[in-house]
Order: sequence, then structure tokens, then C-alpha cells
Amino acid sequence: MLDVIKSVLAAFFGVQSEANRQRDFQAASPWMFIVVGIALAAVFVLIVAGVAWLAAQ
Amino acid sequence: MKRFALTGICFLLLAALMAGSTYAASINTSTGWNMPPGVTDVSREVYSLHMTIFWICVAISVVVFGAMFWSLFAYRKSKGAKSAHFHENTTVEVIWTAIPLVILIVMAVPATATLKKMYDTSNAEIDILVTGYQWRWRYEYLGEDVSFFSNMSTPRDQIQGLEEKGDNYLVEVDEPMVVPLGKKVRILLTANDVIHAWWVPDLAVKKDAIPGFINESWFLVNEPGIYRGQCAELCGRDHGFMPIEVKAVPQEEYDAWLASRRDAAVAEAAGADREWTMDELMERGAGVYNTYCAACHQPEGQGLPPVFPALAGVGMSVDPEQRAEHIAMVAYGKTGTAMPAFGDTLSPAEVASVITYERNAWGNDTGDMVQPSEIRDLLGK
Ligand code: HEC
Ligand SMILES: [Cu+2]
Repeated sequence: MLDVIKSVLAAFFGVQSEANRQRDFQAASPWMFIVVGIALAAVFVLIVAGVAWLAAQ
Repeated sequence: MKRFALTGICFLLLAALMAGSTYAASINTSTGWNMPPGVTDVSREVYSLHMTIFWICVAISVVVFGAMFWSLFAYRKSKGAKSAHFHENTTVEVIWTAIPLVILIVMAVPATATLKKMYDTSNAEIDILVTGYQWRWRYEYLGEDVSFFSNMSTPRDQIQGLEEKGDNYLVEVDEPMVVPLGKKVRILLTANDVIHAWWVPDLAVKKDAIPGFINESWFLVNEPGIYRGQCAELCGRDHGFMPIEVKAVPQEEYDAWLASRRDAAVAEAAGADREWTMDELMERGAGVYNTYCAACHQPEGQGLPPVFPALAGVGMSVDPEQRAEHIAMVAYGKTGTAMPAFGDTLSPAEVASVITYERNAWGNDTGDMVQPSEIRDLLGK
């Protein structure tokens, strides 16, 4: 699970090592990545909205 | 020899790049190469942001192109350099992703602070409703009972190259927006037909004027002067001919100007109470025609068929039977075509005189007169 989160964050950042990539592609199903990806995208949006809200204060 | 030539070219390119950017940054802004620092606190902030970001870009270019030219030079084939074949390097990739991220955040912080100021339209002392029309601006001073159109005043002959172009070619108007010094002015922007944009670089204001929406912006001028701008949204054939002129004057002068605008409006309305002579109507009509109609129907009434019909020698303008249709066309326009309604925007005297003009100019010679009182009664003004 932690590995999945790390990989999704690496994907957001745009850089991933070859070793981790190989490991990720061993996963039996992509669903974990998709679900975590959507969840973290939502978290990202909330962070951006929060920063914008703070800046507007 | 060849080697030296190549090195020379590389360094020349680098030098040109650096010299070019320094030149662009240092050049006197009045020559128009750079954006102007402007005359408001906000515009000066915008300018310094622009210069900061510009220098960040210069520094990045020097590093990136410097590294590129240096590698080209130091590791050239003639010196026996062998290219390395490797795939990915996570550390390097992380670094070159993180650095731009940091730079972007560093730029975003001061930019956001300035944007916040630009969007803060609260506590304005003067409200002006700015409406974009094809192709002129209308300024309404809310609560002051002052409202007028601002038309480009550059003569047609200058545009067609028959006359030498003036200093303020295409950025001069008949009636400028006048504002007092040291007062926060809020402008409410909208449009009557298509999207326009109100842009005055010296005030750092550039905002879309959209039909059915009201956008807000503000400025506070400290230096007396005339600040010029243009419509910045492609809005049809005379998009380049709807300039903006903002005149900042001391408070007393502003008050006197407001009073003179009110007097002028009263005099204009009173014009509908009396009989006009043919000569008066023709003279006034020629001015109105050139300002409001010539863009489409052309100065000699020849039109631009098939889109804009000719008025000289054809149609309702020469037909004695169609006087009423002619009046209705100008007063109410024709929906579904480009012909606007002028009953709301022009005064009865202007509508009456332009119709009289069309019925008698360019050999139309119908001899028909339309009195301002007739238009006033028709429109119930
Ligand atoms: C934006 C372009 C535009 C402007 C500005 C404009 N017109 Fe028109 N006008 C048209 C078009 C298009 C028509 C044709 C409408 C139709 O399809 O019947 C028209 C038609 C007319 C007609 C009827 C012509 C005929 O014989 O059928 C008259 C009269 C007229 N305009 C007068 C004026 C006057 C007066 C003004 C200025 C106060 C003016 N127009 C400004 C576009 C324009
Ligand atoms: Cu426009």
C-alpha cells in the first residue's frame, strides 16, 4: 500500500526509477493504482484550494 | 580553421542572446519596446514583477544555453569525444524537476500578492460603467447622471494614407473618460454586442467586456495626464478603431467637467423642442453619419454589398414612400442583421439629422426633413 502511494506520488511528480517501475508492473491488478490515484488527485485539489483560500485571507 | 569558425558562431550566438535580452530590459520604455511602468501603484508593481521574471528567464537561458554550448565545444568529435550511452538517471531527473518547481513557486508568491490587489475593487469612490459597442465605448458615471459615447477621432484620411498620420494616430477619441487624481475609480465592464476588452497599459488594466456579464476592475491615478489604450479583443471589422483615452485631472477640474457634461446633455435634449433648418440637420447629420454609420455603409453611402447595403441612390433612403420605414430602420435596427438600433444610443436630434442626411446626401435629394421632435415623440423620450 505504501509502495502504491509512493508510486502514485512519483507519477504526480513525473519521475520514477526503473526498479520501482518493474516492481509496479508485477502487480496483479491495476485497480489499486487507479483508486489511490483518484484519491490522491482529490487530496491535491483540496490542498490547492486550501492554499488559495489561505492566500485570499 | 573550421573548428574555430564553429566555436566563434556558438559564442556569437550566446553573446547575441545576452546582449539582446539586456537591451530589451534596459531600453527606455517610452520607445515602446518594453511594457510601460505605468502611472499607478499597481501598474508599477506589475512592471517590477515583469522585470523580475524577465531576469529569472535570462538567468535560466544563460545557464541552459551556456551548458549546451560548452558541451558542444568541450566534447566535440574532433577532440575524440565518445558519446555515453545510458538510460535514465533518477537523481538528475528529480533535480531538474524540483528546480523549476521551486522557481515557479518563488514567482507565484509575489505575483499572487499583486493579483489580490488588482482584484480588490472594494471602497471605490467613483463607479464608471464601461460598455463596449461595435466600435466605440460608452462611459456612464453611476450616480452622476453623466453618460456618453467615446468615438475614435482619427480622421479617415489619415487611415487611408491621404494625409500625414498624427502623433496619436488611432489612439485618440472625441470624448475621453475623465477621472480625478488620487481617487479609487472602479470600472464595471460589459458589452452590448460582442466581446470587447478594455485595455490601458499605463493603468495596468486589461479586462474583457462581455455581453450579459459585468467584470470589475479599478485604478487610482496619481499623475495628471492622458493615458491611451485600445480594445484588446478581436470584435469585428473596426476592432482597431475603438481606442480608449483616460484623462486624469485634479478634483476641481473633474467637477467642472461633470457639470459641463450635464449641461451638454440638457442642451442636447432641448434640441428636440425646436424646429431645425435643413442646413442644420444636414451639418449635424454628416457628423453623426461619419461617426456611427460610415464604418458599414461607407463615407459616400456606397455600402459594402452584399453585407452592408448602399444607401446612395437605392433603397428606402431615396424612396419618398418609405420615409417611415427609414425612420424605423434607424431607430429600431433590424434584428438578425448587423444593422444596430440607434434609438436608445443616439439622441433624437442625432437620429433625426442622420436620417435627413441620408435622404438628401449623395444625390438622394428627396427633400425630406425629419425633425428631432418627431423622433422624440416616436421613441417617447
Ligand atoms: C455594423 C454595421 C452597420 C452600421 C454601423 C450601420 N448599419 Fe445600417 N445597415 C446595416 C445592414 C447589415 C443593413 C441591412 C439590413 C437588412 O438586411 O435589411 C443596414 C440597413 C440600413 C438601412 C436600410 C437600407 C435599405 O435601403 O434597405 C438604412 C437606412 C440604414 N442601414 C441606416 C443606417 C444609419 C443611419 C446608420 C448610422 C446611424 C447605420 N445604418 C449604421 C449595417 C449597419
Ligand atoms: Cu472591441
